[in-house]
Amino acid sequence: MSRKFALLVATALTAVSLTITVPGLTAGTAQAQSVPAGYDPSYAKIIEAANQEGALSIYSATDASAVSELLKGFEALYPKIKLEYADQNSTEMYNRFISEAAANTGTADLMWSSAMDLQIKLVNDGYAQPYATQESKALPAWANWKNEAYGTTAEPIVFAYNKRLVPEADVPKTHADLAKLLTAKADAYKGKVTSYDPERSGVGFLYITQDAQANSNTWDLVKAMGQTGVKLYTSSGAMIERLTSGEHTIGYNMIGSYVLERQKKDPTSIGVVLPNDYTIVMSRIAFIPKAARHPNAAKLFLDYLLSKQGQEAMVARYMGSIRTDLTHINPTADLPESMLRPIQVGPELLTYLDQAKRLKFLKDWQKSLQGK
Amino acid sequence: MNRATRIAVIVAMAIAVLAPIGLVVYQSFLDGPFFQPKTAFTLSAYDFVLDDEDFFDALWNSAVIAFGMTAIAVPVGAILAFLMVRTDLPGRRWIEPVILVPMFVSSVVLAFGFVVSLGPAGIVSLWVKSWLGTIPWYLYSKWMLIVIAGLTHVPHVFLYTSSGLRSLGSDVEEAARMTGAGPLRVALTVSLPMVMPNILYAAVLVFFLGFELFGLPLVLGDPEGILVLATYLYKLTNKLGTPSYQLMAVVVVSIICIALPLVALQRHLLRTANRYVSVKGKASAQKPVTIGFWRWPAVALIVCWLAFTVVVPISGLILRAFVSSWGEGVQLSQVLTLDHFRELMHFPNLVRGIVNTLLIASVGGALSVGVYTVLNLAAHRWQSGWTRLMDYLVLLPRAMPGLVAGLAIFWVFLFTPFLSPMRQTMIAIWVAYTLVWLAYGMRLVSGALLQIGPELEEAGRVVGASAGRVSRDLTLPLIKVGLISSWLLIFITFMREYSTGVYLLSPGTEVIGSLLVSLWGSGAVDLVTALSTVNIAMIGCGLLLMSLFGKRSHG
Repeated sequence: MSRKFALLVATALTAVSLTITVPGLTAGTAQAQSVPAGYDPSYAKIIEAANQEGALSIYSATDASAVSELLKGFEALYPKIKLEYADQNSTEMYNRFISEAAANTGTADLMWSSAMDLQIKLVNDGYAQPYATQESKALPAWANWKNEAYGTTAEPIVFAYNKRLVPEADVPKTHADLAKLLTAKADAYKGKVTSYDPERSGVGFLYITQDAQANSNTWDLVKAMGQTGVKLYTSSGAMIERLTSGEHTIGYNMIGSYVLERQKKDPTSIGVVLPNDYTIVMSRIAFIPKAARHPNAAKLFLDYLLSKQGQEAMVARYMGSIRTDLTHINPTADLPESMLRPIQVGPELLTYLDQAKRLKFLKDWQKSLQGK
Repeated sequence: MNRATRIAVIVAMAIAVLAPIGLVVYQSFLDGPFFQPKTAFTLSAYDFVLDDEDFFDALWNSAVIAFGMTAIAVPVGAILAFLMVRTDLPGRRWIEPVILVPMFVSSVVLAFGFVVSLGPAGIVSLWVKSWLGTIPWYLYSKWMLIVIAGLTHVPHVFLYTSSGLRSLGSDVEEAARMTGAGPLRVALTVSLPMVMPNILYAAVLVFFLGFELFGLPLVLGDPEGILVLATYLYKLTNKLGTPSYQLMAVVVVSIICIALPLVALQRHLLRTANRYVSVKGKASAQKPVTIGFWRWPAVALIVCWLAFTVVVPISGLILRAFVSSWGEGVQLSQVLTLDHFRELMHFPNLVRGIVNTLLIASVGGALSVGVYTVLNLAAHRWQSGWTRLMDYLVLLPRAMPGLVAGLAIFWVFLFTPFLSPMRQTMIAIWVAYTLVWLAYGMRLVSGALLQIGPELEEAGRVVGASAGRVSRDLTLPLIKVGLISSWLLIFITFMREYSTGVYLLSPGTEVIGSLLVSLWGSGAVDLVTALSTVNIAMIGCGLLLMSLFGKRSHG
């Protein structure tokens, strides 16, 4: 009996392993290897070298499932390059990278993360190598730091609300609206507002510091949120889910791409507002490490990521395009340029990595939250 | 085993345990990452942490939670084990696999199941609200966290206790029954005291698990900002902007300082472990205790526990996998969908993740049990300084919260030249899992070993068998049941383990746990619940197969 059972298990396992060894993608066109239109002909050398390298390792804080189309596109263009995409959270990514760089046993060929400050710190600490992408003409100036760090997306930071439970008249259009609503109807929104906890979440901290720079009334808004007993979280998943269920009804400083993605699936529950006094725009930053083992493959990927084709694949998953010639397909297309407040890809992001400044800011936040 | 082999085995274990721990302790005295050139010795990390009120807040919460959950899990788990293993309770063959469910669902996902069912807009909550007008509980309070943590750790105690009870002859129980003791009295004064070593081990381990609890407080403690030591590590990282290893290391050192006296206490309690020998030269058949009228309160207890710990969160979770929306003002019948599963089909690396998880849990789990058995045999019936050392070492890896353990083991692999080629293979992940769960597997196996009367092994030696032969032909067959149930425990544990391997995972070696956590981070709760449902179905089938298979092999 046990023999038969073992045999059964073995057969099942073999069957499963057979299905996985079939490559996910066999497509790949003959002319795919040619230099992209508008590129310098010398680019052929990079392609040649990248094909020689034959592999590419990406560390990313973006879900593999969210970029599956993007990755497939790259594999179709450059079938000789074996792509390894490792998604992990941004802190883990940072830890792993600096450890591997110190051990000198090989690390990522491309670092790509939404933790903008950590990425800039790595670049500032000299971990990146410069590369002048041929797509740079299409990029806004704020998205390129020293040709080392590139912003690759333009994603709005939004208000989200529960459509079933927040009356249309209440829906705030600006930051001031939100503060006013929460002050006027403090009881109705008791425990119903949610946001990132800047004390426990790096991105939450980044967005609220941007607010403080953009809007001198930010502390009033924080105070108003504090009076409604705002619930603070560490992950988007937790917040979006509770907004759907009505446990909370208004979400402040949510990452636009995640909320829009959910809105598409559940349009009757989730509403999204791009605040029209100003909308913070964040960007996933990519850089090529000095320690990259396959720098040419990484260059190809970076170019592809910034190209029209790559950007369109990202926009399809609501990660807005960084390209100036694609702004019309972005989630922020309806907002005038002047209302957008992109987080600059540059050394400004290092300000609050200074311990004293950071703790001071958090103290101010706590004070306002408690209404002092 | 002869003395030299025993010492060699123990030394090997000591090296494996002390390498990552030593690295962390060393790191706690530095002012920067140990691998960077310009680091110096300092006590500043201790100053910072011991000056941080959040740390003491987290320490206090962790202590309260650990204490509370031990106080809940141990009695419930022990009684449950007695009822399942020693009595004629109706339907126990079917109840038993269900008891284990809370163990094999990732605690983040389980906690989320509670949110869907019992949260302020939860399905059960809204239903209760429509009757009473209010919701009489608040899911995110500290009390609720303790109750949930306690009840979801009942299976751990159950497994340890039941493996002991299973190898217990029924002669003493029968004697007690014949002299007129009721079933409860039999349980409390005869059966359970016989397996006291197992229960004590379980208690210490659950208490310890309480200290490094992560998933439940991450989800349930989030809204009120209830910090425990493991979530405090996150806050620490964020307070400074960049990860600060020396501060994390200090937190680990503080947990080690709590762990060592615990081990001493445990050793003290078990000093006279030979009181508990129950498998003796004379075999006795196992007969269940008839509990008569008591079966009704017993069934009621089990049903209540199952309803709260299994049915409520799991049904919430599974329901969530089949709807596009939920909560106040949603008609569930109108939002039913299979879309999440369709989307899951397109998920990259899904099959590979599932296969890897099954492999590491089944094959890896079996190998780990092998390792734990060898380690146990090395210390078996040997009173010496070496075994004392071993008792202390075993619990140390668990003193590191999963994420720190993962980082430390990653460093060991990364910076040890002959290990670094293995870094991105399943072997590294297996080593990490085996190391971190050392205490659990070891205790299961040793619980079984303790119950074998020395006269059996002495008899083997007397008739001329070598020490190795006695282990192989006598000791191992006698603890077979114990080994199988340890494998089951390890299988389940590895199935949902994730954080330890996080730095060792790479494309090609992903496991379901890692996929779940990365999806949770980006808000793809649809996929998380669908994947968890698949995961639960898979393990459900496994358990079903196992219990069918187990039945046949008996008959």
